[in-house]
Amino acid sequence: MLKRIVSTMKSPFEGKRMESDLDEELRFHVERETEENVRRGLRPDEARTQALRRFGGVEKTKEECRDAGRAVWLESFLQDVRYAGRSLRKNPGYAAAAVLTLALGIGANTAIFSVVYGVLLQSLPYGGGERLVRLRVDAPGAGITDGRFSPPEMNDLRGSGDAFDAVSEYHSMWFVLLGRPEPERVQTGVVSANFFDLLGVRPILGRTFRTGEDQHGAEAVLVLSNSYWLRSFGGDPSVVGRVFRMNDRPHTVIGVLPPIPGYPEDNDVYMPVSACPFRADPDTENNRDAGMLRAFARLKPGGTLGGAQAQLNGLVKRLEHDHPGNYPASIHVAVAPIPLRDELTAQARPTFLLLSGMVGLVLLLACASVANLSLARLVRREKELALRSALGASRRRLARQLLTESLLVALTGGVLGLVLAVGCRQLLVMFAARLTPRASEIAIEGPVLLFTLGVSLLVGLALGLVPALSSRRSLVSALQEGRDTSAPGGPARVKLRGLLVVAQVAISFVLLAGAGLMLRTLWKLAQIDLGFKTERVLTSRVDLNFSRYPEDAQKRDFQTRLLDKLSTEPGVVSAALAGNFPLSDRGPANGRFRIEGRPGAAPENLPVADFQRASSDYFKTIGVPILRGRGLSNADRQDAPKVAVISESLARHFWPGEDPVGRRIGLDGQHPTDEITWLAVVGVVGDVRQYGLLKPPTEQIYLSMLQYPGLSTTCFVRTSSEPRALERAVRAAVHTIGPEQPVDRFRTLEEIHEGALASPRLTATLLVLFAGLALAITATGIAGVIGFSVGARRREFGIRMALGALPRAVRAMVLFQGMRLVAVGLGIGLAGAFLLSRLWSGLLYDVAPTDPVTYAAVALGLGAVAAAACFLPARRATSVDPMVALRNG
Amino acid sequence: MPTERTDLLQGTLDVLILKTLAPAAMHGWGIAQRIQQVSEDVLAVNQGSLYPALHRLEEKGWIAAEWGSSENNRRARFYSLTRAGRRQLAEETESWERFAAAVGRVLAAT
Repeated sequence: MLKRIVSTMKSPFEGKRMESDLDEELRFHVERETEENVRRGLRPDEARTQALRRFGGVEKTKEECRDAGRAVWLESFLQDVRYAGRSLRKNPGYAAAAVLTLALGIGANTAIFSVVYGVLLQSLPYGGGERLVRLRVDAPGAGITDGRFSPPEMNDLRGSGDAFDAVSEYHSMWFVLLGRPEPERVQTGVVSANFFDLLGVRPILGRTFRTGEDQHGAEAVLVLSNSYWLRSFGGDPSVVGRVFRMNDRPHTVIGVLPPIPGYPEDNDVYMPVSACPFRADPDTENNRDAGMLRAFARLKPGGTLGGAQAQLNGLVKRLEHDHPGNYPASIHVAVAPIPLRDELTAQARPTFLLLSGMVGLVLLLACASVANLSLARLVRREKELALRSALGASRRRLARQLLTESLLVALTGGVLGLVLAVGCRQLLVMFAARLTPRASEIAIEGPVLLFTLGVSLLVGLALGLVPALSSRRSLVSALQEGRDTSAPGGPARVKLRGLLVVAQVAISFVLLAGAGLMLRTLWKLAQIDLGFKTERVLTSRVDLNFSRYPEDAQKRDFQTRLLDKLSTEPGVVSAALAGNFPLSDRGPANGRFRIEGRPGAAPENLPVADFQRASSDYFKTIGVPILRGRGLSNADRQDAPKVAVISESLARHFWPGEDPVGRRIGLDGQHPTDEITWLAVVGVVGDVRQYGLLKPPTEQIYLSMLQYPGLSTTCFVRTSSEPRALERAVRAAVHTIGPEQPVDRFRTLEEIHEGALASPRLTATLLVLFAGLALAITATGIAGVIGFSVGARRREFGIRMALGALPRAVRAMVLFQGMRLVAVGLGIGLAGAFLLSRLWSGLLYDVAPTDPVTYAAVALGLGAVAAAACFLPARRATSVDPMVALRNG
Repeated sequence: MPTERTDLLQGTLDVLILKTLAPAAMHGWGIAQRIQQVSEDVLAVNQGSLYPALHRLEEKGWIAAEWGSSENNRRARFYSLTRAGRRQLAEETESWERFAAAVGRVLAAT
């Protein structure tokens, strides 16, 4: 077989040689025959004549040899391609419509598949692969979901058994890195020395951490993330070995990481736990309640999640027994191994699967539409095909030519679609980055290209089969009948075209319903009351360097001076500081509190709230209404009585039907022996969506920043005009007061709000785009089919009208004929949408996946468009003079 | 020369060529001569259909062609049976025998 293909490939180039071979072979035969005749006693010239006569037509033989020979296969294929190209060029309207429709369909599928492949299918970019897990801890009884481990608990995990061959800890915090032109606030991953070995990540420069480098007394070392290295050092390899100051200690850069997902967080640098002043503090190291760490582990080879789970359950049992004070059975502590693959992709999966389904439908629709176009065209070409058949082209050859043509269209569409997908890649990566840290792995290469090629070939084959399916009738009869080009082309074909219209309407319905539901979700999301006003507020992070501001007095001094300076800036309406910004993606800063006068409970059963530090003008600056009492004020200083402002939901929860203003809440100290601090509740403020749009408002307790100064600081400036214009002023103010103090992450509250809406907005945009495409394709499809059948029935209409049928009645008849198909399509689409509703239920907010309003609106809208598409050809049917129609019939 | 020659049934030429090539490689003229000779001049090979048949068999991979030197020291194209050709020959021989036997039985029946 291979030999045959090779010889086939060779032959067009060797055509000349083959021809002369054939000549020589036949000449030999004639000469040999002549010799034989001479031997039998004929005269030489007579001998030759007889040999030639016996041989018959030399040219005819040569022709037959060539046909039997190997050149035919490829030659006729090339001929088919040339023929297809010529026939498409002759009909540029059809070619352009078909290629463009398929390009959109294939392009959309390529783009979405590149995302699905890069994020969901491709193996993890870690050497540790599928054995990697994150250990997740929950304690529903204490309101802890996905909590953190403390250093003693990390040791417990390491010693819990042999299900894992490595366990590593991780937490992330920011530090100030000095030694660059400006002080830089670097997000720092603080990890065990084996962290990168566990993941299976090799550095691209230098090395990662060595065993022992996370022990007390080790030199402080840093590994740079790939993006930070490129961003801040321009990819300079000489950075390895350089020394920077952090936390008042020299830190040596030992290596640079390859580009890996920004997971668990997008860190700039990594350090071993011994270099982190908080983690290495003996108080933290021995404190069972200092939950700050995430745990990662690698299953031993051949180990299962079930085995790991059993081991972790055993550990929890032991801990509950050994430390009942820390782990009372009532809070139901549970530790579970979560495969890292799920961690990285769980959030993205439903969206990407939905989009895959939707683009699949778009492609199906595109195919139906092109099939419809090519059927219409086939009718017009019937005469040509019949003629070619009469001239000796076999049925197989004709079918092959049509197949070549549709393959050519599909492959051209595929190439164009690929261009489209490459053009959209950047946009898709940005979109995916909101859902998964693996977004940077999306690329249009290798398997994605194969996918596109495969889809194009499949589409081409499917479209090539349509003409074969539609007509089994002899083509010669078409020639004999001398059909007019407007003939309907057989009832089978009309039926098939009707079926295609039904399919188009059904698919469009599903796509429109999806888009409609997503739009309603987006609208509902945008309607969510945030609890604050987003207009004209600029936020930035001014996190204080703890080594520069170790004492509360220093922090207080910096924060007071910064606020004083900011409020005098021109254009500033008010300025405030708080621990965190609203709609933050971090988890709440939960803490426990007591309520004065209520029976004391065990420490672990005390009520929980999110604690937020804020300066006096915080509520005014971001527009949180004060419902009772007062907000925080500058009088709530360190020497004044301690105060608290609580959120409405907290007030309702703990003081239902009462006025909490004037009551007192108590905070326990660090150690059980410490005295309880009592704070007077001075006001109740409106609820704020503090931690994400979809999370219900947090029960919050606001503390005065003057009484509880902290390091994490977010700066808020409400402005009288464009807030972004004040970025320079804020930067200057911070650097005047603290020359080594970084300030970054400038964003307006509107941008933060937009960011929270961006992912559903993009999903909705994509779905609306697909649905709009579907609607346009379907409308043209319906108009085409109805127009075609109207054209074929002109005589009939002429007779009807000549016999007295009103044009209105004829129009209604045509409309009815079209709308019957549309109605069937709508019915099937409705059923399909119901069946698929589970697919998008996870992406909807406050809208049922079978929302009747959306479905009704889509059915009406689609019905109206379809009716319009039917009406245009219907009007044309009756606009002709019956006599003219009859005469020209 | 006997005049009573039988035209070859369509498709039988292929199997005759294969059979003729079974012992040794041969050129086109030789094949024609050989078939005529062995059939004692009953079967005449129409030379106009011989060469297309050879090319067709070559295309099917049952025979292979190669330039060689003929008995009168001229360059000639020699055909030989391939492994697939041998299998094909065996198959066609068997089916021909079955066919001929069947026809014979029908004709013998009264």
